[in-house]
Amino acid sequence: MDPIIVADRLGKSYGPRVALRDVSFAIAPGEVIGLLGPNGSGKSTLLRILAGYLPPSVGQVRLAGLDVVREAFAVHQRIGYVPEDAPLYDGMRVAEFLRFMARIKGLRQVAAARAVGAAIEALSLGAMREAPIFRLSRGYRQRVAIAQALLGDPPVLLLDEPTNALDAFQVIGVRELISGFAGRRTVIVASHVLAEIGRMATRTMMLVDGRLLTQDAMALAAAAAPRLRVRAAGSVEAVRACLAAVAGVREVELAADGSFRVAAAPRPGLEPDLAAALVGAGFALSELAPEAADLEAVFLDLTRARRAAA
Amino acid sequence: MNRFAALLGKETRALFTSSVAYVVLAAFLLIMGYSFSLTLFLTHTPSLVHVFFQIYVLFLLTVPVITMRTLAEERRQRTLELLLTAPVTEAQVVVAKYLASLGLIALMLALSSVYALLLGLFGAPEWGPIVSGYVGLLLLGAGLVGVGVFTSALAANQVVAALVSLSLFLLFWIIDQFGYLLPDPYNALVTNLSLSVHFKPFATGSVYLSDAGFFISMALLGNLLAVRALGRR
Repeated sequence: MDPIIVADRLGKSYGPRVALRDVSFAIAPGEVIGLLGPNGSGKSTLLRILAGYLPPSVGQVRLAGLDVVREAFAVHQRIGYVPEDAPLYDGMRVAEFLRFMARIKGLRQVAAARAVGAAIEALSLGAMREAPIFRLSRGYRQRVAIAQALLGDPPVLLLDEPTNALDAFQVIGVRELISGFAGRRTVIVASHVLAEIGRMATRTMMLVDGRLLTQDAMALAAAAAPRLRVRAAGSVEAVRACLAAVAGVREVELAADGSFRVAAAPRPGLEPDLAAALVGAGFALSELAPEAADLEAVFLDLTRARRAAA
Repeated sequence: MNRFAALLGKETRALFTSSVAYVVLAAFLLIMGYSFSLTLFLTHTPSLVHVFFQIYVLFLLTVPVITMRTLAEERRQRTLELLLTAPVTEAQVVVAKYLASLGLIALMLALSSVYALLLGLFGAPEWGPIVSGYVGLLLLGAGLVGVGVFTSALAANQVVAALVSLSLFLLFWIIDQFGYLLPDPYNALVTNLSLSVHFKPFATGSVYLSDAGFFISMALLGNLLAVRALGRR
């Protein structure tokens, strides 16, 4: 399938400060992309360029085959965008604001009313329908911003930190909403919260200091050397030495909960060997289990490697 | 058209849900009512020439207040990002704001037409200068609002936008005073930039196409530059 978004060697500078450098990627229709990066890594700049709000300093982006700079109007008809910090018109009421956004997206009266109703329903904003926006809490503001992005049913959604300021229940709601778009809409969700991205994205891109470090962090995490969680009673140093002596083991770390994290080159029979070594040395083994692929580890490794190289 | 109507509706509502429109209207009517009655009682002449000159000065002072928030506030609240990533053009955004502000100017003039009606009811005024005066004021307002919207497009702070447009208006109000001092042909060039020079004939009953062209050019240039300023981000 042809990609719906293609970025080619994108760069953006604000005066002497370089915000994005040589960013290229392709996104297929229906993908939910997590855009992960520390604060100030260029996520918002990248989304603003994709949304056609900022022109790139170098490079080119095509969205649905359209150039986002030269064919901005047509691009804007195909996107729903939630800017960082959810800017809204404070002087309006929730439904009034959504009606206005629906109409400037080209929906006629009846269609606009229907779209507003559906967006209010999807984001559970019914109770706040007639509330003035300046009275809303951060969480509600965020939901109103997401609701306006859904109006007009755009095929591409660009969401900059959409779960900021939401409480745990709201985060779950928004996460389910976004995961539900997979296969139907193309979504790019920028966030600095690892756990969030891991749960809703079908693919995760990592951006650090304006550079795209990987286009698929989850694949990297899955391919990384397996880590095992080991819990055994005995002196910490003795257990560590015993584990480190097993063939293939590269690193043994003591975790905060008192268990050990063992990084080893993948090989058949690793787990039985570890168990045999511990039991043979007289330690009581209570747990030995593989750890799930760890996005955080990949993120930290890539960030550290990038910063060390810089 | 649907999109533009939505933008225009939003701007008009924003203007009339903030206190600015009401404060400006109240101040305008208070000052003009006082001025109209005083002039009438002192001169006993059914003419609005004095009133037109006072409205002219009041426009120079109030237009910056009316236009200051149009684009500067969108920039400050970052709603410009929302607006300019929706399928509307920069020109639609600017013109909607322009027309909403000009609408308030037109409303001020419409309310002040009570003075003309009073003169008509109780005296026999010459209607020519009254009509030309109103046409002149509307054109002046159109030009001033254009410049005001442009300065608002440049500034991220509404007070700065108001101060810049106010300074420009005051400069072009009195620029003919300096113009007369300059050698030929600069005197004509600078004098013709003056708002007063182009407004005076309207107030006294003469309508010249060149004066109308001056204010219309101001309006068009202001809108054009505002669109350019929005495009530069």
